[in-house]
Amino acid sequence: MTDARRARYVALFAAESRTLLGGARRAMQEWLDAPERQGPAEEVFRVLHTVKGMAASLGFDETAELTHATETQLGEVRAGTQVADRPWLRRLEEAVDAITAACERAVAMEAGAPGEWVAATQEPHGPRYVRVDLDRLDGLLGDLGGLVTARQELDRHAAMDSLSPLARAAQGVERRLDQLRDRILDVRLAPLSEVFERLPPMVRDLARHLGKEVVIEVSGEEIEVDRTILEQLIEPLIHLLRNAVDHAIETPDLRQAAGKRASGKIAVRARRDGDSVVLDVSDDGKGIDRERIAEVARERGLLEAGATLGDDGLLAILSHAGFTTAASVTDVSGRGVGLDAVVARLHGVGASLALTTVLGHGTSFSIRLPTRIGIVRAMVTAIGVERYVLPLTHITELVAWEPGTTREEGGRSVLDVRGEVVPVVDLRRLLGYRGPAAPVRRPAIVIEANGQRVALLADAVLGHVDAVVQPLERPRGIPRWVTGAAVLDDGLPALMLDLASVV
Amino acid sequence: MARILICDDAIFMRTMIADILTTAGHSIAGEAESGLQAVERYKAIKPDLVTMDIVMPDMGGIDAVRAIIAIDPDAKILMCSAMGQQALVVEAIQAGAKDFVVKPFQATRVVDAVARVIAG
Repeated sequence: MTDARRARYVALFAAESRTLLGGARRAMQEWLDAPERQGPAEEVFRVLHTVKGMAASLGFDETAELTHATETQLGEVRAGTQVADRPWLRRLEEAVDAITAACERAVAMEAGAPGEWVAATQEPHGPRYVRVDLDRLDGLLGDLGGLVTARQELDRHAAMDSLSPLARAAQGVERRLDQLRDRILDVRLAPLSEVFERLPPMVRDLARHLGKEVVIEVSGEEIEVDRTILEQLIEPLIHLLRNAVDHAIETPDLRQAAGKRASGKIAVRARRDGDSVVLDVSDDGKGIDRERIAEVARERGLLEAGATLGDDGLLAILSHAGFTTAASVTDVSGRGVGLDAVVARLHGVGASLALTTVLGHGTSFSIRLPTRIGIVRAMVTAIGVERYVLPLTHITELVAWEPGTTREEGGRSVLDVRGEVVPVVDLRRLLGYRGPAAPVRRPAIVIEANGQRVALLADAVLGHVDAVVQPLERPRGIPRWVTGAAVLDDGLPALMLDLASVV
Repeated sequence: MARILICDDAIFMRTMIADILTTAGHSIAGEAESGLQAVERYKAIKPDLVTMDIVMPDMGGIDAVRAIIAIDPDAKILMCSAMGQQALVVEAIQAGAKDFVVKPFQATRVVDAVARVIAG
């Protein structure tokens, strides 16, 4: 077997074993739900058998032997000499996890082995692979940012005469630059499975440790997202799952007393939604007691007397840094410790978090993430001598503002926009700007997010950019409504605001 | 050289068998990833030889052998089995398969077996 051919087989093995073992894990869940069924046994057997054959063909002996041993045990159930009761099924599930890990190890070792990455000239057919350090890809993205900035300069000159040769050349540059951007961003994609496959073993471990029965279901792992986003997902997902197992899922006896199945169910589901990917992390545990949370929030002055808590308000309270650390609240909320950290990390890569909960029935967290980092169409605004970048996605309109146009209503400043009352937020105050005084006439930027509208007062609007956004390593003290930094056309950076969290 | 139909539920295995056979000068007339597909493709393609995996979804390899032999008693089928499936191989031969090779494949064994079965 030539090296190039072997590299192709290993790549096929990696992809196919992931898909197959994902299927086996789903079949295991079905089987655990109904141990008397025969169908899942056949499915798991077929997967093991196929994986064994593939692993043996590549000389992955550890994987092949482990799979063979598991297949033999499963054979006893199929032959009727062994009963597939719950403890036995749990052991089988662990064996499938171990086989998954063994496959990944074998592929990783192969990739890391010296001399495996063969000159591209050897074999002209089939996919060929090259391993690239992510730092190099980040460098490429930075270069792309510089190019996008240079293009904007070019566009400004070209716009003076739209029929000139310069304008035509600029159009050509624009088209190719868009193509280059897409290609660079594509190279950075990685499947969610790289994170997802770590979740079931972790959840089962924790459940065993806490004396709980938990079935975890994972789907959508084939969806690809930018590697930077993928890496930033690990902690939030682990956090949400730990909380779900630890606080949300009840002990088997409590569950049965409440008329539920003894084993709790946690699902991590990914699906595409336009340009975004939505990850739902849901459990069928006890749900969050919003009345109790509202009570504590009122005591602390975080919620007005008489106001009630919707799902969005509940999440805002739970992810309020000072709120969640209190032990008394953690106990009753069944959630909490460090939810603020989860939200901050997600905002850092342009992702958002939403919550739905029904007391007694369960909780679902929904993470909406971009599939690609990179280019955001944005508005550049000035606050004093500082510049801030606002993504255009949330901006609905611009209106002129003068001191007389704002009025006080219900303890807050509001503005009439086309007959609708919109609360006003002064970016100077929000950002804590202490420079020279604001101009008298200012633009009000109307934004809409989470179904609410807010008018943001800036000092001036400077223009538009296609900004390449770099997620920020988050030093202490950066407020959560800063999502990243963008490089502007003069080469200087500006902070990008997360408008959804301003609302 | 022979026109061959490859039946296996794993792309990995189909690719590997195809590489071995094309290197030996055979051509791949088609591929199938289940027993049902194998029977359909056999009818449509009429290949010179079939390689048949045993464990597949939607009708396993042995039932597929029976179905193909029922259509064409002269069909030349080579079973591809894993270690520890001797009993199933015997069943497949009784159903009409001509020979077998064992995974993991060794190229020379596969090529020899194909030559034997074709020579009849």
